[in-house]
Amino acid sequence: MVKQKKNIQETTSEFEPIAIERAAHEDDVRPILENIKNCDTVIGYILRNTTSAAIDLKDPTKVIDYATLSSAAFEASEQLSELFDLGKVKNIIVEGKDTKTLHLSIGENNISIFMEKSADAKKILEQMHLP
Amino acid sequence: MDNDAYSFALRNTLNEITNACPDIQSIFLFKEDGDIISGEEKAQEEAAVHAVDALDDVLEKAETLGGVQSIILEGNKGTVNVSRTKDFYLVTVVPEKADMKYINTLTGVLVPTVLKLLEKINPSHNRGTPSEPENEEPTVEPDVKPIQESTEETAEKHEEHDVSETSLESILPEPQVNQFIVENVGGLFASSDTVRIDGDTMSQWTELYEDRKIEEVTIETFGGKSTRCKLKPIKDSKYEGKGIIQIPEKIQQSLEIKKGELVKVKPIIE
Repeated sequence: MVKQKKNIQETTSEFEPIAIERAAHEDDVRPILENIKNCDTVIGYILRNTTSAAIDLKDPTKVIDYATLSSAAFEASEQLSELFDLGKVKNIIVEGKDTKTLHLSIGENNISIFMEKSADAKKILEQMHLP
Repeated sequence: MDNDAYSFALRNTLNEITNACPDIQSIFLFKEDGDIISGEEKAQEEAAVHAVDALDDVLEKAETLGGVQSIILEGNKGTVNVSRTKDFYLVTVVPEKADMKYINTLTGVLVPTVLKLLEKINPSHNRGTPSEPENEEPTVEPDVKPIQESTEETAEKHEEHDVSETSLESILPEPQVNQFIVENVGGLFASSDTVRIDGDTMSQWTELYEDRKIEEVTIETFGGKSTRCKLKPIKDSKYEGKGIIQIPEKIQQSLEIKKGELVKVKPIIE
């Protein structure tokens, strides 16, 4: 019985990063984002939850544009997920001509990371899953 | 090649891709002006309309990134992939364990190739869409500027001109077929033989058909029923720009359609 339980956990950790659930609090997420922001190719991030929002962008003039894009991406992801029965949205990557963005939810936190086109969004995504 | 043939070619391509990759849950192409080309199933059409509606805001807001090149939405049970190919956005929806490499290779080669071919066959098509009214007339241009042209060019143009000369005045772009979502008409004084679409579409039609007044349209359902009705612009601003057609209940009944369904609408030019 115990062995069975262990197996289930092992299988789960292979596909679904448990760290995401653990890092549900803003305080847990902030250091990871700060670390990511130190990458040369990362332009900044927006972290939002039901009670607060933190924005850290290299170019402050882009705050409004990026914030509205972030909201639109989360809204669209919900609608598309419902429409095509995609289940819980893991992440959304929007790639533009000049820059790209990664949006994901960790617990109640909606996170948008903005980066240069050359940045590796998948790698950043992996970093977000750090235990 | 008219709009219908162009759409037919693209629709067939999408169907063939679906046949080759049964993993694909949904696939369609759309343009920012709202033109959608999807598979033959009605459910696919409707899903495409709603998906475009959902993506619309992101596409607009992503101008700050220099315009969208691609969007990948990963869910627990599947993925939505949006990629830009020329003026079109190609959307594919696949379940979690689909062979993305194969699907991306196939779609990434086939769709751009077909679009390129279509453009070669009929280069004016993309310029003739209602979203770009300033370029809408190349198909009927009589080419009356031979002064700066070489003799050869002039001769060629004259040949083209002769072919179309007899009916030049009456040649107009092929009546354009638009798709709309059915909405009920409210109000006590709503006319039972008149449908309403948004003013922008009506203006586009008027421009496209050289300022001819369009007072009637043909509505065709995907079930094959059609009818001719009078046309007026939508009064309620909340329905404007949403691809909606307000149809009186009586007409809905005769066409066997109801609110939320898709219909094809073609202006009648007389």
